[in-house]
Amino acid sequence: MDSRKAKELLVRAVTTFVSLSVAIPLLWIVADVVIKGLPAINFEFFTSLPAPFGETGGGVANAVLGTLVINAMSSLIGIPLGVLTGIYQSEYSGDKRIYSLIRTSIDSLAGVPSIILGLFAFTIIVMRVGHYTALAAAFALALIMIPPVSKATEEGMRSVPIEIREAAIALGLPKWVITLKVVFSIAKGSVITGSLLSFARISGETAPLLFTSLFSYYWPAGINEPMASLQVLIYNYAMSGFGEWVTKAWGASLLLLLIVLMINTLVRAVSKNKGGY
Amino acid sequence: MYHKLEVKNLSAWFNEKQVLKDVSISFPSNNVTAIIGPSGCGKTTFIRCLNRMHELVPGARVQGKVLLDGRDVYRDMDAMEVRRKVGMVFQKPNPFPNMSIFENVVAGLKLLGVRDKKVLSERVETKLKEVGLWEEVKDDLRKSGAMLSGGQQQRLCIARALAVDPEVLLMDEPTSSLDPASTAKIESLIRELKEKTTIVIITHNVQQAARISDFTGFLYLGSLVEFGETKKIFESPKNPLTERYVTGRFG
Repeated sequence: MDSRKAKELLVRAVTTFVSLSVAIPLLWIVADVVIKGLPAINFEFFTSLPAPFGETGGGVANAVLGTLVINAMSSLIGIPLGVLTGIYQSEYSGDKRIYSLIRTSIDSLAGVPSIILGLFAFTIIVMRVGHYTALAAAFALALIMIPPVSKATEEGMRSVPIEIREAAIALGLPKWVITLKVVFSIAKGSVITGSLLSFARISGETAPLLFTSLFSYYWPAGINEPMASLQVLIYNYAMSGFGEWVTKAWGASLLLLLIVLMINTLVRAVSKNKGGY
Repeated sequence: MYHKLEVKNLSAWFNEKQVLKDVSISFPSNNVTAIIGPSGCGKTTFIRCLNRMHELVPGARVQGKVLLDGRDVYRDMDAMEVRRKVGMVFQKPNPFPNMSIFENVVAGLKLLGVRDKKVLSERVETKLKEVGLWEEVKDDLRKSGAMLSGGQQQRLCIARALAVDPEVLLMDEPTSSLDPASTAKIESLIRELKEKTTIVIITHNVQQAARISDFTGFLYLGSLVEFGETKKIFESPKNPLTERYVTGRFG
């Protein structure tokens, strides 16, 4: 074999081996979580409140509900802010300095570790109201959602070709109509994808919740109260050293993993038939 | 003869570069006027000055007057009003990809708030019939405009421009991306449309100008070299430059 072919073979072998081995941790995690989490899953797991420490049985229903409520509140704040910022950046930011100011701010926000966003929410909300509250969690998680949502919106809208915009302009439509009903409408697939991905992202965030919504062993009592979440439940139960709770933590991990995988599948479905550009 | 649209001493720039030099033309109502000239002569800039699309480009500037029924489109009207009255069809068909065939035709009405289903449906049928597309698409009105062929898409775009009842229709080389059969259909459509509207068409195809237009203007290096009845421009041009261009000796 000449050396050219040998090099070709070497590169192919090394890249194949490395890329297969990076898939192993994921498969390992999934397998481990499924094996250890599956025994925890039963009807009670989804419908009951946690059993007190030391007792068997009970479920994580309040944490499932809490995660959904916190995620929903975060989305209600984060997605509109992200979308509106993206629309401004793509269509209205005539002044380059304002554009780069916002762009830099958003890029920096995306780089802030989530634990710091949690601390920030703690100092400006929790310390003021005097108790842990799910609202502060929603605020912290919304800050995590804004950068990816605004970028997906901006990029989706920017990729709408000038020919399409000119067709709308030539019909004598006002700018806001063109922006929202033509350009944004075409970019909708990208906006939905970005929003779903950011939703999946916050479903796993734990650090900000420890400073904000903390945890509760009861049903959510109100959005301005401490609230259970799957993430913090996993954190608490896994560290408890109590076998029944550790199993519950595995069950909750499996649930969280399934939620995130489901969203990712949904994203693929959306981006496959989003059409347009 | 009534002149629907009059251009007086029009000059246009992109930053420092002057692309139109003191052009004056009067477009007769219910006639087809062709603007011909080699690439880069300012044809597209010229036509885009008529519905105020030129000013969308950063650094673009216009001087002179464009009068629609005697009203200066730059001083007496706002840009959106001008564009509703002066419709435009582009080189490449550009249907809205997020809308069905139906929605594309009435996009101008619907997006401006016309909700009446009956009005919209009637408009869709009339306009698609006008452009000769109705029989081909009447069963697929809910499908995306993107499924149509290039020539059908262009006729859809013409229907969309006509649906807001423009008084003038500007066409920027509307057949340049189409095959000969689609081109022939659009050419015969243009001859019919002049019953209702005043048409200004840009073409780099001299034969097309001869086939479809009543008047022709020859633009060269940003200046109007000659303007007159198409027959005269082609049979007895006054300027030797025009003669050389229409006989295909340069271009």
